Amino acid sequence: MFVARSIAADHKDLIHDVSYDFHGRRMATCSSDQSVKVWDKTENGEWHCTASWKTHSGSVWRVTWAHPEFGQVLASCSFDRTAAVWEEIVGESNDKQRGLSHWIKRTTLVDSRTSVTDVKFAPKHMGLMLTTCSADGVVRIYEAPDVMNLSQWSLQHEISCKLSCSCISWNPSSSRAHPPMFAVGSDDNNVSCGGKVQIYEYNENTRKYSKAETLMTVTDAVHDIAFAPNLGRSFHVLAIATKDVRIFKLVPMRKESTSTGPTMFEVQIVAQFDNHNSQVWRVSWNITSTLLASSGDDGCVRLWKANYMDNWKCTGILKGDGSPLTGLSGQPTAMSTMMGSSVQTSQNAINGMSAGRIGKRAPFAPPLRQLTSPKTYQHPAHY
Amino acid sequence: MSGSKPDILWSPHQPDRFVICDSELGLYRIGPVGSAETKAGTLPLSEESAATLLAINSDTPYMKCVAWYPKHEPECLLAVGQANGRVVLTSLGQSHNSSCKDLVGKEFVPKHARQCNTLAWNPVDSNLLAAGLDKHRADFSVLIWDISSKYSPEASVAAEKIRLSSVDLDSSTVVTKPLYELGQNDACLSLCWLLRDPKLLLAGMHRNLAIFDLRNTSQKTFVNTKAIQGVTVDPHFHDRVASFFEGQVAIWDLRKFEKPVLTLTEQPKPLTKVAWCPTRTGLLATLTRDSNIIRLYDMQHTPTPIGDETEPTIIERSVHPCESQIGSFAWHPSSQNRMVVVSAANRAMTDFTVFERISLAWSTTTSLMWACGRHLYDCVEEGAEGVESMIEKDIATKMRQRAQSRYGHDTIQVWRNHVLAGGNDPQLKSLWHDLFYMKQCAEDMELKLQGNKQSVVYSGIKNIVKTSSGTTESRRCWSGSDRQTDVPRYHSEERCLALRLCGWISRGPEIDMEAFLRSLEQEREWERAAAVALFNLDIRRAIQILNKGATAEKGDLNLNVVAMALSGYTDEKSSLWREMCSSLRLQLKNPYLCVMFAFLTSEPGAYDGVLYESSVAVRDRVAFACMFLNDAQLPRYIDKLTNDMKEAGNLEGMLLTGLTKDGVDLMESYVNRTGDVQTASFCMLKGSPGEVLKDPRVQCWIENYRNLLDAWRFWHKRAEFDIHRGKLDPTSKPLAQVFVSCNFCGKSISYSCSAMPHQGRGFSQYGVSGSPTKSKVTSCPGCRKPLPRCALCLMNMGTPVSNCPGTGKSDEKVDLTRENKLAQFNNWFTWCHNCRHGGHAGHMLSWFRDHTECPVSACTCKCMQLDTTGNLVPSDSS
Repeated sequence: MFVARSIAADHKDLIHDVSYDFHGRRMATCSSDQSVKVWDKTENGEWHCTASWKTHSGSVWRVTWAHPEFGQVLASCSFDRTAAVWEEIVGESNDKQRGLSHWIKRTTLVDSRTSVTDVKFAPKHMGLMLTTCSADGVVRIYEAPDVMNLSQWSLQHEISCKLSCSCISWNPSSSRAHPPMFAVGSDDNNVSCGGKVQIYEYNENTRKYSKAETLMTVTDAVHDIAFAPNLGRSFHVLAIATKDVRIFKLVPMRKESTSTGPTMFEVQIVAQFDNHNSQVWRVSWNITSTLLASSGDDGCVRLWKANYMDNWKCTGILKGDGSPLTGLSGQPTAMSTMMGSSVQTSQNAINGMSAGRIGKRAPFAPPLRQLTSPKTYQHPAHY
Repeated sequence: MSGSKPDILWSPHQPDRFVICDSELGLYRIGPVGSAETKAGTLPLSEESAATLLAINSDTPYMKCVAWYPKHEPECLLAVGQANGRVVLTSLGQSHNSSCKDLVGKEFVPKHARQCNTLAWNPVDSNLLAAGLDKHRADFSVLIWDISSKYSPEASVAAEKIRLSSVDLDSSTVVTKPLYELGQNDACLSLCWLLRDPKLLLAGMHRNLAIFDLRNTSQKTFVNTKAIQGVTVDPHFHDRVASFFEGQVAIWDLRKFEKPVLTLTEQPKPLTKVAWCPTRTGLLATLTRDSNIIRLYDMQHTPTPIGDETEPTIIERSVHPCESQIGSFAWHPSSQNRMVVVSAANRAMTDFTVFERISLAWSTTTSLMWACGRHLYDCVEEGAEGVESMIEKDIATKMRQRAQSRYGHDTIQVWRNHVLAGGNDPQLKSLWHDLFYMKQCAEDMELKLQGNKQSVVYSGIKNIVKTSSGTTESRRCWSGSDRQTDVPRYHSEERCLALRLCGWISRGPEIDMEAFLRSLEQEREWERAAAVALFNLDIRRAIQILNKGATAEKGDLNLNVVAMALSGYTDEKSSLWREMCSSLRLQLKNPYLCVMFAFLTSEPGAYDGVLYESSVAVRDRVAFACMFLNDAQLPRYIDKLTNDMKEAGNLEGMLLTGLTKDGVDLMESYVNRTGDVQTASFCMLKGSPGEVLKDPRVQCWIENYRNLLDAWRFWHKRAEFDIHRGKLDPTSKPLAQVFVSCNFCGKSISYSCSAMPHQGRGFSQYGVSGSPTKSKVTSCPGCRKPLPRCALCLMNMGTPVSNCPGTGKSDEKVDLTRENKLAQFNNWFTWCHNCRHGGHAGHMLSWFRDHTECPVSACTCKCMQLDTTGNLVPSDSS
């Protein structure tokens, strides 16, 4: 059961992004009021704003944290066509005691000629790298060659995606089997422009990023995109916020060692939900990529979860103001959860039958039959 | 506005009142749905709000447009524009104050009768009411009336009369001379006063937009355009104006009025209303005819005419306030993003709030934060209850709990790990029992053979039965039945090992299942016990178990019936018993009971009914196969089962694959399915140190699991895991990252560092003073020069730490061992990487408990704060 409580954010205009740090103890928010705020969680779970400062001369679209091994580092991007890197420093005064921290700008990245719509740090194992994408359709990858000096960033790659970019996501997999990869989404409204999600992969030989895949089935404007935490899985999962919530699975094909081209993927659509009944604005994965949260223009936050059969279903709905969805409207919370479970069982049945793989599937379907009640064994019982 | 098409107006000052006008004016009050006054006349507007009708005014027929008086007093004064061009002041409700009485009923009549299209009250000089009329030859179409003009006190009495019959003309209440006449020889379709200067009036004329200045009525600024309908000024940005024509909205900047700064995507149907949101900058709502959606245009930025041509970013959204077609809508003047929508057909109203786009993020500890508008919401998973608990907890939550309960760390009683994991997952139960039996067997083997048989045990039954040789076939009597059966059973050393791994028999050469049966009985797994007994060809024992079960389960009829049926066993091929059993067994709900009859009714060697009954635990099926399948059938069956298990990622299959490459494949599909890298990591670390650990996939799971522990701030657990891993995989031990070298000779003093605790242990206690070896550790082992001094106690490093102030001696004695351990850590070298000052770790820690600056005088380094992660508290207890 998810219960929401409100926090006085004190931003003067719309908040565009919320981002947690690696440990979930700190949070950054950014807003149309051109400022970024940093929040720290106290031991009793309360959030306190410890820093708030003007970062840009336009709406700040996104804010993101670097891995803590690079220090306390934030990056923000804005309508003012810049992205900026911020670092927390230990102030001269006793700011820390007063519960305040001090952030200074380390660099401003001014390469974009249009609004910078998203900014993301690359996975930690790649070093300290920062990616931006902008409305003119260019993805830029910067690297800080010296992690101790955050004022120096060199533009390593500039990739033109042809379409106005709205969001970017790195594949977080640290496995050596998976070369660095990111996905970029476009909010271009023109359906005839083709796929709005492009996937780029790093090629070790050419030392360049090249397009590995375009999701041709996503033709509507994409507002957000998120690779699921890989967690040692052999495939990648990508959530897309477009006119509906979509979950794609990218299974890398086994490639021969001689081939040097980009990895070929088998692209499967795992789920597609139009429950928001309108444009979907954001998607976010939990740490194990077993829960997906989405928000839509219906003003609701929905939670999605897959069962063992990879059947995704809605497990919760909350209204944007934190209240549960109740009463007369479409799907009340209680109903949706119950619906979820019944859907699950019926889908099980369908799967088992249609796939004709009862023998394989059934072992986990009714686990209760072969189960004894959980007892604590005090002796090494035979099993 | 035709009579049938309603419009809505919010009261400019009373946040809970609005007027709906179609053929008459209706004043409504909006309130929470649960309030005391839920009268019969209340109309529900949404789940939370309802409207109450307060007053109806039907005095003014042929209404074309309405405008609400912008000032506080009089409250409920409305101007109504009629089809004949007259403008009537009217009121709703019981406002009896004098100023209102004076005004109500006043009529403003143009020279020539024609339709009044629009009305606009000057927001500052509220006496001025502008009316826009249709064209009539060369007459003026924009008339600005002064509502206070030609007012005579005696008229107030007559005004009452007029209210009742407005058609009646009374010269004292009728004003025919407007204050200003504008827009000659033209038609006016829309009007609005400019907020930046209340002397300026923007009018949508026939083919142009014109700005009239009341200070100089002979001049006007105008631009030719078709978009002349519904002119409206952005309340947050006074130079921005929206107007529309058919399906297209044009946004104008008054500072560069020549052309629209922006035109919005054209809609197929003509627009009927365009309105700026009064509570939020740059949000424009538009409505088209015959539609049930309101389109919102979110203009994030004020267009800047200075500098470059940056178009504002526009996010288009559409909302569905109600199912039916929308007649009109109106933004609430003060409630955030709220509007009331009235349907075209039946005047049904909907109270609707446009939600801002929500951005959200999950934290590592499965709490969800989202931002809606200017607010933040923190959403945490409360303890599972109700319906939610039926749905399984998420694996992230499970792994966190399991990490805290030391799951995977029991290396002696390996099977206990599934209890640590919560004990309710059959696959984990099977997995940890498998690993336990493997470990047991491996240990036995070592004792017996001293050879490297260990790897055989961990290579899984699939590989064990492959190497099977010297299989003997035996035919055994049914014990408890006098008949000689023709059921062949197979024996070999490998099969015997397999049975042990299945847990059916314990160590020893004899195939003795009694111990296993008894433990099953203890577990109340009657059906399973009976099946095992039956497979052991002991029908009497099986019946006995079932009877016992029936009594224990308070006369479970089912078990008794089955026992009865069993006792009638006959091996005659065409007996009624056989025929009935093979058909009726399928109706048995318990898979073990089912396979018992399958076994009894099947031909020797054709046991598909048992082998492919997927509800029976894999270990039981495998054990059965090891006893009754011949050397040709067995590997085939095991291979098939292994592949099924691998594909499904079923951990029960670990028994077959063992900790081999096959096992990694199986675990891979398990991880793909569940994301449970914790189980995967611990499982792979249980076998013999070997190849599987070198598999990149295994390394990847381990890295991912360590990363999870780090993200959860379970650093102690991570360290424990690393120690556990280092035992099996010595290559994973990290190399020393820091070396302390002597100031004088530059040689590493790590020798003395590492030796120190060991030496210390050799002596009884640290309390012993003047010990010869002790003094040595305070100097460099290379050059015998003293080590640097601790910044706090000013003793050379290497000297043991005296107790920190505050710890009494009595405590010390009680907790000697613990104190000892701590003392060892307190002795460690530590220093700040920034200012290079340091000393005993214990001293430094206690110093920085109360101070932020370095203990060395004149050094202002804030050593502890430099390390931001150092300030984080681990969330697991050590």
